[in-house]
Amino acid sequence: MSAAPLLEIEGLAKSYGAVRAVDGVSLHVDHGEICGLIGPNGSGKSTFFDCATGLSQPDSGKVRLDGLEITGWSLDRIAREGRMLRSFQKTVVFSALDVEENLVIAGQMFAFPNVASTFGIGAAARTRVESLRIQARELIAAAGLWEVRHMPAGNLSGGQQKLIQFASMLMPKPRLILLDEPMAGINPKLIERVMDSIRYANRELGVSFLVIEHNIDVVTSLCARIVVLDQGRKLAEGTPEEIVVDQAVREAYLGG
Amino acid sequence: MSTVARNGRDLRLPFVAVLAALAASLPWLLGSYELHAVIVALTFLLPAYGLNLLVGYTGLLSLAQAAFFGIGAYVTALLAIHFQTPFIVNLLASGLIAGLIAFPLGVPALRLRATSFVMCTLGFVIIGQAIAKNWISVTRGDMGLESIPRPSFPLGPFSFTVSTTTGFYYLSLVIAAVATLAVWLIVRSPAGRNMVAIRENETLAESLGVPAWRYKIIVFMIGAAFGGLGGALHAHYLTVVTPLTFQMQYSTTMLVIVLGGGPGTISGVIFGSFLFVGLSEALRVAPELRMIAYGLCLLAIVFRFPRGFAPLIDRAWRWIGGER
Repeated sequence: MSAAPLLEIEGLAKSYGAVRAVDGVSLHVDHGEICGLIGPNGSGKSTFFDCATGLSQPDSGKVRLDGLEITGWSLDRIAREGRMLRSFQKTVVFSALDVEENLVIAGQMFAFPNVASTFGIGAAARTRVESLRIQARELIAAAGLWEVRHMPAGNLSGGQQKLIQFASMLMPKPRLILLDEPMAGINPKLIERVMDSIRYANRELGVSFLVIEHNIDVVTSLCARIVVLDQGRKLAEGTPEEIVVDQAVREAYLGG
Repeated sequence: MSTVARNGRDLRLPFVAVLAALAASLPWLLGSYELHAVIVALTFLLPAYGLNLLVGYTGLLSLAQAAFFGIGAYVTALLAIHFQTPFIVNLLASGLIAGLIAFPLGVPALRLRATSFVMCTLGFVIIGQAIAKNWISVTRGDMGLESIPRPSFPLGPFSFTVSTTTGFYYLSLVIAAVATLAVWLIVRSPAGRNMVAIRENETLAESLGVPAWRYKIIVFMIGAAFGGLGGALHAHYLTVVTPLTFQMQYSTTMLVIVLGGGPGTISGVIFGSFLFVGLSEALRVAPELRMIAYGLCLLAIVFRFPRGFAPLIDRAWRWIGGER
């Protein structure tokens, strides 16, 4: 394990017009860690995610992945070459494609490292797709979605779609996953299952996580360390026990 | 329970077998005028395949297909007239050059958003026609280029020239079959799956490591190459090219073939090219009302079959196969 943190972000800032959505936030995620990121609505969590993952470019600040600077890389390059993936709050699955295809697509970046290789029509390419399909079926079965694996993903419930999204992100063997509100809009029974999946991926597959989540019970149970954002700045950082009793955090949430 | 058709699965073996048998016997079944219409349909199938990769699989609406069709036709005419190159060289050069020209056009155009991209591709056709009209030293302007030889194949000491309509029909058929195989291989490859991912949700695809921008430019170039191939075949068939080879109506015809036939399917586009080219030719009996009737047919089809004919073909095969 290298000395540098897995993800290291320094002084990230992003403004939209006169609004400083993220105003110089520094944060790190260690190897093997599940780190929580919380804050009231509009505190800049999602903008922070977008800038860290290349969906939008920060005005200033640096993003390093395992010591390698990736500031300015595009979303797809960070996913492909950095093996750092992210989820979205709303866009979750390819609705018109079936569950299995959803997972196979996600695995292709790992199995086919460049664009030219994806045009492969020989036996080698077919074998690689077949092994992705096998891997996909294992993940689908583990997620309890075996019965619906040939259904269009868009026909499934919101919770099932979140499970598909999570399983998809495990396909390319990622190092780090950034989850944007994984529990939003899903029923309590599925919340347990998603939490189990996160813990399993963390423990057994060695995936580290940075999780944005509003459900405070989920965050305190999953994460060993929590970072709190408010109005684009880092308000607090610490263990769940420290955060829940922190006066500044309570005031930010209660609007005090 | 509904299931999802995977790329290329619509092209089933019985469909291909029936089509091949029908295609081989067509010259005995049809008169020479009908056979001419079939040749035009096979010619338009090539650019339509290219457009289908763009619209149907990658989700990029383009009206530029007639521009690449025109480029292919002119490349073929110029090569054949000035260098007496054989048909196969003209065909491949037209596809290659149209594909290469698509690169500098596609790089700025694909940066635009959906609606602006459509306008931009429309511009390519208009510019193509303007160049063909005004670069008189090369294109002879409105007079066009004529006496393009019939396709001939040098085979050792012999040479074989396709001079009859029936001969040209079989030549078009072979080219269409090879093109079908090429499209089938592309859409069944991992790249075809990534193209569909881009069509379904570009940001989500990118978040899963799909370099959407690179795929879009590559597919734009492949689509243009198919357009160029169609233009080359067209030039050899008519033996004349004029600036009217670059016409908006060709782009819209190709779009109608894809959208009406069934975007994102191969069988739908084959069906579409025969239906819409055939319809256009059949309506020549009433020249004054032709375009009005054509338009009305389009409206009827859009309302009755919003997803094209592909779902219908699929259902027909299931019915024949006794499924469900």
